[in-house]
Amino acid sequence: MATGGGQQERPTRPSSFSRVSSSSFSPASSSSTSTSLPPGVRIGANGAAFVSSGIPDLDRILGGGFLVGSVVMVMEDADAPHHLLLLRNFMSQGIVHGQSVLFAGPTKEPRSFLGTLPSPVVQKEGLKIKHDVSDVQDKEKGLRIAWQYKKYFGEQTAVDSHNRDKKQEFSSDFDLRKPLERQLLNSQNVECISTQDAFDLSKLQNHCLTFVSKLSMKDGINSNAGRIAIQSLCAPQCGYFEKDWDMLSFIRSLRATVQSSNAVAVITFPASVLSNSISKRWQHLADTLLSIRAIPDKDLAKLLTGYQDMLGFLHVHKVAQFNSQVPVILDASTYSLKLQKRKSLVLERLNQAPVEGSSGVSYATSGSCSSSKGSLLDF
Amino acid sequence: MAEGLIVRSLRDGSLPGEHAPALCLEDSLPSPLASHSHAVFRHLLASLLSTGTGTAVVLVAFHRSPSFYLSLLSPTFHNSIRLLDCYSDPLAWKSNHHPPPPSHSPQNITLLTNLNHLPHFLSSILHLAKDLGAQGHDRVTVAIDSVTHMLRHAPLPSVLQLLTNLRCHEKISSLFWLIHTDLHEPKVISSFEYISTMIASLQPIVQLPDYANANISASITSLEENYSKAKFNVRLKRRNGRVKLLCEELLIEQGSVKFSSVPSVSSVVAQNLIPKVQFNIQLSDKERMDRANVVLPFEHQGNGQNIEIYDGRRSLSESQKDPSSTKIGGLSEQKRSNNNKSEKGEIHYIRDSDDEQPDSDEDPDDDLDI
Repeated sequence: MATGGGQQERPTRPSSFSRVSSSSFSPASSSSTSTSLPPGVRIGANGAAFVSSGIPDLDRILGGGFLVGSVVMVMEDADAPHHLLLLRNFMSQGIVHGQSVLFAGPTKEPRSFLGTLPSPVVQKEGLKIKHDVSDVQDKEKGLRIAWQYKKYFGEQTAVDSHNRDKKQEFSSDFDLRKPLERQLLNSQNVECISTQDAFDLSKLQNHCLTFVSKLSMKDGINSNAGRIAIQSLCAPQCGYFEKDWDMLSFIRSLRATVQSSNAVAVITFPASVLSNSISKRWQHLADTLLSIRAIPDKDLAKLLTGYQDMLGFLHVHKVAQFNSQVPVILDASTYSLKLQKRKSLVLERLNQAPVEGSSGVSYATSGSCSSSKGSLLDF
Repeated sequence: MAEGLIVRSLRDGSLPGEHAPALCLEDSLPSPLASHSHAVFRHLLASLLSTGTGTAVVLVAFHRSPSFYLSLLSPTFHNSIRLLDCYSDPLAWKSNHHPPPPSHSPQNITLLTNLNHLPHFLSSILHLAKDLGAQGHDRVTVAIDSVTHMLRHAPLPSVLQLLTNLRCHEKISSLFWLIHTDLHEPKVISSFEYISTMIASLQPIVQLPDYANANISASITSLEENYSKAKFNVRLKRRNGRVKLLCEELLIEQGSVKFSSVPSVSSVVAQNLIPKVQFNIQLSDKERMDRANVVLPFEHQGNGQNIEIYDGRRSLSESQKDPSSTKIGGLSEQKRSNNNKSEKGEIHYIRDSDDEQPDSDEDPDDDLDI
């Protein structure tokens, strides 16, 4: 049974934002034509269009953000609710940029989830500039810093000073303690659907189709991107839970719908409640695959620095790539989720003594990321 | 401590705005006499009821008859418990042929025959909970004897929906159920773990022996321990997203359950969770002895002579040669004799101290202060 090909089988994507031919692509021309792009969409490498995930660190790790037209899947951990943090930031970012948002959740009142969305932090300009300049200087020195001291220098940003202002508009920091303003939530382009009582996925499928068709019908020129956020798609209390193949064909049709439109879909699902083979099929259908892992209390304290602030681990399995056959190779694939000053979400690399190369090899074999606690952390 | 934590969180119920805590008690075949988990179930029931007048329990009895439960509890608690009897007539055989006499059952037992229809089931539980609430009990806990029995009558998603609805309902303050893990597929068990906030399971203290090994007889007699003791593993999902893992020992004595803590368990738990490092830093005893016997290249002269290291103190061989001579004298004597034999270079190694670890001076950054 075909489960959908990998990224490399689809070389072109007819979303209206991306530039298909790369011959005329240069940084100067992109900055002049970027004014025609709606807010929140940016052109990145290989002429692909990105929207921000709502978490600036995650955008940087994924090489620009979420690709427009891709399906992002997040594998939840049954023990921890951190996937909701990712979803909240994703939806808030869309609302702040005026993009249409469709949310589906396995509760009776999915609208109540909107009340937990964070509002963006208003940052002073001066602080942001200072941070970027020091990073550029560090890069120029070409230091090779030993692993013990990397944490003192912080992460190097790949953004040069020219695009600094655009970067700030593209993705905002969110304050998780402050809820988003009511009038933004009540606008017409935020829809919510409940999946709990549904016995099959046809209703959700129709909703997604109408949502995506509405995106392309708007005004022609300045149609904005759309965001689809589905929480816990295979939650066991939903009526369609035992229909594995129906769920897979829903994801496949969602993928096809989103691919030819200006939307990004983020789906979270608890992988532990699916059987192994079905879970693998779900993972193959994702363009970008992330997973969340909970931290057991106290036990890892002696191995990791900064352990007390960590909420959980984020593991990047797959990163979508467009217009290129070169795969994305990450420095590290496991990051820790932390709350900075209890309000904004940051992702940090784990600081630990280097482990021998076996960790990379066995990650590939244990890639299914079940809830077994014995799986390796990849640094 | 694990048992205390569980009872406390079940008794305290949920904070406003949160769903009720739910405990999933898992029963499995390797822990012999499946009644162990049932004993824990009864123990939890009794401890919840005995904590005061505020807590009341709605017990859904599938596995044992309601009178069994009533006989377990002292009569003072009979007012704080309501039983939903799903044991006597689950398939409605009796009521189809002989309608039940109206005032047959005691006041706190309600007979339920239509188990296929889960909304009716839910409303009966809520009705009983409201009853108890009206009597002045502000915290109502729902205990389900065996979810395995429920799954015989209704499909999995509807059972899970029922449990989730119970968790959301404002009259219910906590919820716990028993499930037999061997009778279901793993994904069913993981679905129940997904919707619960605490997961407790029993494991045998002594594992079944590997019959290929030689000494079977010794291990079989130790299996007897399994009949009275078991390991009680608890996994708690905390509000900050961390997972707390606890393990205790369970003793069953004459029908009552006692919990005692086992100190050596945390290391076992930690071993599963830390990443497996490829190199093993610790030395075994044999390796330590071998290391002590290793002759380092700068400690010998390469010409087969006895190894003598000038360590700043009188060594045994020097005292044997000339007990009255000084250290320096002894050394120079040796030097002269060596020089007569060969013209090769010599190595004179002075050890700083006897207990010097070989790599102790390795990290020059220790005094670095950033």
